[in-house]
Amino acid sequence: MEETENLCAPTCEPERSLDGHAIGDPFRRVVESAPYGMVVSDVAGRIVMVNPEAVKMFGHSAEEFLELRIEDLVPPRFRDGHEGLREGFHRGPESRPMGAGRDLFAYRRDGVEFPVEIALTPLDVDDEPFVLSSIVDITRRKRAEEELVRYAKKLERSNAELESFASIASHDLQEPLRKIRMMGERLVALCGAELGDQGRDYLGRMIRAGDNMHGLIRDLLVFSRVGMRGGEFRRLPLAEPLRDALSTLEMVIEEAGAEIEVDELPEAEADESQMRQLFQNLIDNALKFRRPGVVPRVTIRGGIIEAEEGGKVRLEVGDNGIGFDEQYHDRIFQIFQRLHGRTEFEGTGIGLAICKKIVERHEGRIHARSLPGEGATFIVELPKQQKASDDQSPAER
Amino acid sequence: MTREGILMMADDDADDREFVREAFDASGFLGEFRYVEDGGALVDYLLHAQGNPHDPASPMPDLILLDLNMPRVDGYEALKRIKSDVGLRRIPIVVLSTSESESDIEKTYDEGVNSFITKPAGFDELVEMAGRLKKYWLELVKLPNGPAR
Repeated sequence: MEETENLCAPTCEPERSLDGHAIGDPFRRVVESAPYGMVVSDVAGRIVMVNPEAVKMFGHSAEEFLELRIEDLVPPRFRDGHEGLREGFHRGPESRPMGAGRDLFAYRRDGVEFPVEIALTPLDVDDEPFVLSSIVDITRRKRAEEELVRYAKKLERSNAELESFASIASHDLQEPLRKIRMMGERLVALCGAELGDQGRDYLGRMIRAGDNMHGLIRDLLVFSRVGMRGGEFRRLPLAEPLRDALSTLEMVIEEAGAEIEVDELPEAEADESQMRQLFQNLIDNALKFRRPGVVPRVTIRGGIIEAEEGGKVRLEVGDNGIGFDEQYHDRIFQIFQRLHGRTEFEGTGIGLAICKKIVERHEGRIHARSLPGEGATFIVELPKQQKASDDQSPAER
Repeated sequence: MTREGILMMADDDADDREFVREAFDASGFLGEFRYVEDGGALVDYLLHAQGNPHDPASPMPDLILLDLNMPRVDGYEALKRIKSDVGLRRIPIVVLSTSESESDIEKTYDEGVNSFITKPAGFDELVEMAGRLKKYWLELVKLPNGPAR
């Protein structure tokens, strides 16, 4: 403690500074060894002391510095304003920490400007006020930040391009396919009798393959639209999109003879139609992979996870179906990946990939817990509130 | 009461024109099926029909089936021109396009289209669509008699 006080009290071991003021020796040592530029100036802005780091940073020699005023270290375009700021500081001197205020620039001896962060500390030496400016050259950090922003923009652009490519490609792919199907159907209808059994069989398989491809392309289009044509986020009770999803699935639920149990769900800031799609896909998935001979039971639960940054909501869709081996956990969320053959279970294998994309657009996460033969539970965590900046893609057509 | 009616299809895709014509035939449509290959030809035809009301070669259609994505003058442009022409804007126009895009739907309704249908994927669906269009636009609805004034 004693030592710290000594360091901070410039009068303890008086030494005449260059303009005749007492600056303590320990203080000088602190300044000299500081890892950033330090410049002490008086009320008139005259520089009375600098450290080696400042010499390196600005390119003036220590002797030259003592001929300069603090304004000489400010780019000419800001000099006029600076004097007023300096006088203001001396009227009510208060420490200003690093990084407070707007972007600052310093001016090197060779006329080059560079971005800096500056902390100001008022000093009283022999009852005369001085200011200690601690200066950090942030050129590299700025460059890294700019690089990061550039990179993020590039990534955003290429993502948008990819999504719009998928959307355009799948739309254009549907065109010839539609005709192949249509011609096939016409062929069966008009010339079926002449084709013979084998011919009709081939044609039937061709049409089914076309239907299959139609499904794949349609799903690809839906998948690409999750990012591209997302709606707005707004605060909503998640029970609403769930109700809509259940009513869309009414027939499927009835056919499966399923029991659906719904808990109270929280509110969250979300895209309503995507939430509906999320519930729909998860429940549809739960119903699809049911165990033969067992009444399918789907439970939908909700909860709140209190946490920093506004907390999260947790949604669970659990079933008593066939489950899956958790070693395939990541695969089930990938587009067009299936754990079962097409003949066992219908579908293109895109439902959960869409869920994942929706959840990720909401800055949330999705995972699943399961054991083969013992049902599965899909767990979704979403932030209660979305960050202010929306991800609305510029690629909206 | 059955009005036979004149159907005008604007579509650059010959296969689609054939499918649609066959589908209308299959649905029992007994009227006249005409077509043009782009929006410009459609507007030219209609203007000619308007200027020559008694020319048997260019009767005014009772229903227009309009594709959107066409070379030269596309469906939007044709729609805009027709719906802004006092003499033509009462002709019902149904967009028949492969598009399912929300923005296409909004845009065409804003321009005054009467219906928007995405081209069905199978022939049976196409026949069903043709039957419904015939029933609705050529039999059921009451339309004003003659152009707006």
